[in-house]
Amino acid sequence: MLRMEIALFFVLLFVAIVYFSAGRKNTLLHRTFSFLLVATLVHLVFDGATIYTVNHLETVPVLLNDILHRIFIGTMILIVYLFYQYIAILVEEETGKPRKLDAAARIFLAVAELGALLLPVHYAVTPSGNYSDGIHASVCYITTAFYLFLCVWLFLRNWKQIDPKKKFAIGAALLIEVCVSLLQALNPTWLISGMGLTLMTMSFYLTLENPDILRAELTEQKISMLYLKSQVNPHFLYNTLDTIRIQAQLNGDKKVADLLMRLVDFFRLSVKVNRQMVALDDELELLEAYMDLMCYRYPELVCHYDIDPDLGGVLVPNFILQPLVENSLLHGMKNKGYRGEVRISAKKTADGHMEIQIMDTGSGFAEGKKEAIEQMLLNYAKQAPKLEGNSIGLLNVQKRVKLLCGREFGLWYTENIEGGLTAHLLLPVEEEENEKIARAAGRR
Amino acid sequence: MKKLRVLLVDDEIMIREGFKRLFDWEAHECEVVGEAADGMEALARMDALKPDIVIMDINIPIMNGLKVIQLGRIKHPEMAFVIVSGYDDFSYCREALRLQITDYILKPVNYEEFGACIDNLKISLFERRITKEPEEQEERTITLLTRYLQEHMAEELSLSVLAEQFYLNPQYISQLFKNEIGVGFLTYLTNIRMEKAKKLLLSKSYSIAEVAEQSGYGDYRVFTKVFKKTEGITPSQYRRDFLDGGER
Repeated sequence: MLRMEIALFFVLLFVAIVYFSAGRKNTLLHRTFSFLLVATLVHLVFDGATIYTVNHLETVPVLLNDILHRIFIGTMILIVYLFYQYIAILVEEETGKPRKLDAAARIFLAVAELGALLLPVHYAVTPSGNYSDGIHASVCYITTAFYLFLCVWLFLRNWKQIDPKKKFAIGAALLIEVCVSLLQALNPTWLISGMGLTLMTMSFYLTLENPDILRAELTEQKISMLYLKSQVNPHFLYNTLDTIRIQAQLNGDKKVADLLMRLVDFFRLSVKVNRQMVALDDELELLEAYMDLMCYRYPELVCHYDIDPDLGGVLVPNFILQPLVENSLLHGMKNKGYRGEVRISAKKTADGHMEIQIMDTGSGFAEGKKEAIEQMLLNYAKQAPKLEGNSIGLLNVQKRVKLLCGREFGLWYTENIEGGLTAHLLLPVEEEENEKIARAAGRR
Repeated sequence: MKKLRVLLVDDEIMIREGFKRLFDWEAHECEVVGEAADGMEALARMDALKPDIVIMDINIPIMNGLKVIQLGRIKHPEMAFVIVSGYDDFSYCREALRLQITDYILKPVNYEEFGACIDNLKISLFERRITKEPEEQEERTITLLTRYLQEHMAEELSLSVLAEQFYLNPQYISQLFKNEIGVGFLTYLTNIRMEKAKKLLLSKSYSIAEVAEQSGYGDYRVFTKVFKKTEGITPSQYRRDFLDGGER
């Protein structure tokens, strides 16, 4: 039977490594599971050890055998207690009712641990194998029965309020542990208590403590925080800005009124993120609102547009130009005191695609940055999705272009001879369906 | 033409002030005769003042703007409404059109462009007059002229075409439009062409080029440009927003 304990130990060790290397929220529930995991690992070591020593009573000193047995039983009691705690916390999270039986469970734990430490150990010798019995061994049976009873009682009492997924997890763990405990009690020589505890821990690991689920929860929380931070109720924003704009115009300040109008335009357009693809004209409208404001803030910043009028209806991924221009401004023009020009052009290429260029007269690549950006844009798919950082804008544009338009399209940078950088964005010429029909009809 | 009487409804005093003082009502032959800050007050003012035009915010206290219009229509079928809303949402727009609102504009209001909206109102008020009193208006020159324009929309139209057709002086026709409707000939022509186009766009059976052709634009690019300028969005955007708007 020793082989099984060794196997279980390694399986659980592997689980523990995966579990502890994954990120998770620091909650009481997860902490309890961590303890459960460690306790079960320790328990399995002593389980294995006692299986060996109890069957070699002649060679192993009685004192050593006793100590090993006391730790074996002691950890088992602790595990069953943690198991109960885990379920109690789960039920509390689900129902919102506070845990009332904690004190009783802890007193029982203390008494049982004392029993495991002090009561005399007795060994039964049978032809099919030896095992410990008598008053010491009965402590663990009583404890297990007691805690399992508490669990079942908690579980059934709050049956209706527990979420089905959690119901399944608790139910499976309980069923396994109850069955294994009963079998062990009926057949003391089977020595399967360690297996029961391992399976029970595993069943929680696989359902509620799965690192993937935990990580997803964590990311979700981060994203929703970002979302909240970035999304002040837009109507509040427009309305307030609009009131200020009207006041400015009433005061005779047309310039301020116009700027506020552009700001409102920018917000209004950038909030419309519910569409994947938009017409180039729409995208340029947003960009113009943004550039008008930036050029006002930095009067020596000049912006030129050179857009092939035939390309206005071409569909492009939503929100790809503004991040690129913002990047040019913040990493190129900023170092030159925002003096210089940004040139935005859209032209048809020889092979019928569209190339958008964003040329700036900024400071160009910083030392070593060129390779880093090139590598990032080349290996865009392997980049971990980051939620913040400088190049997130570029990476995001690249990923969306590749995903929505195809792998042959995308973003790259070149250095201008006269200084500064040019962002090149190659996109397919795909028009809105209606205009395509119109164009075909126009040709007739 | 007598001055059009305007009622302003918005719960924000600043917005009402802006409308009152930043738009040149005089130049568009209108005058602001009253204001209201909530739905109930708006209904009371409509009863008392009998304005020609009501400029209406949707999101106002006590009773929302759409409801006010619904109730107002029953009592005052001749009133024209302009919805001014910060909700950049086409579901409102569709409901507004169901209420036969003459126009719908979005906040922030650009006062320079608001004149176009008033022109639209004048045209629809004129059209309502024609349909309401057919006998009275039947033989009037302006009625004959506008009917001709409606019926020959797909053809090339200009002041000189009308002049030739009706043996009238082009100058006289131009003046007639100003006096009778309150807008210039070209504004009127563009307006009825855009109205026609919008109706056609709602049916999927026409391509944009066909819509352009039927509303009098040989080149669909010119049509798209004019449409974008008057409606703020391209024809295909308009069609898409209306037909798929509900699914968003």
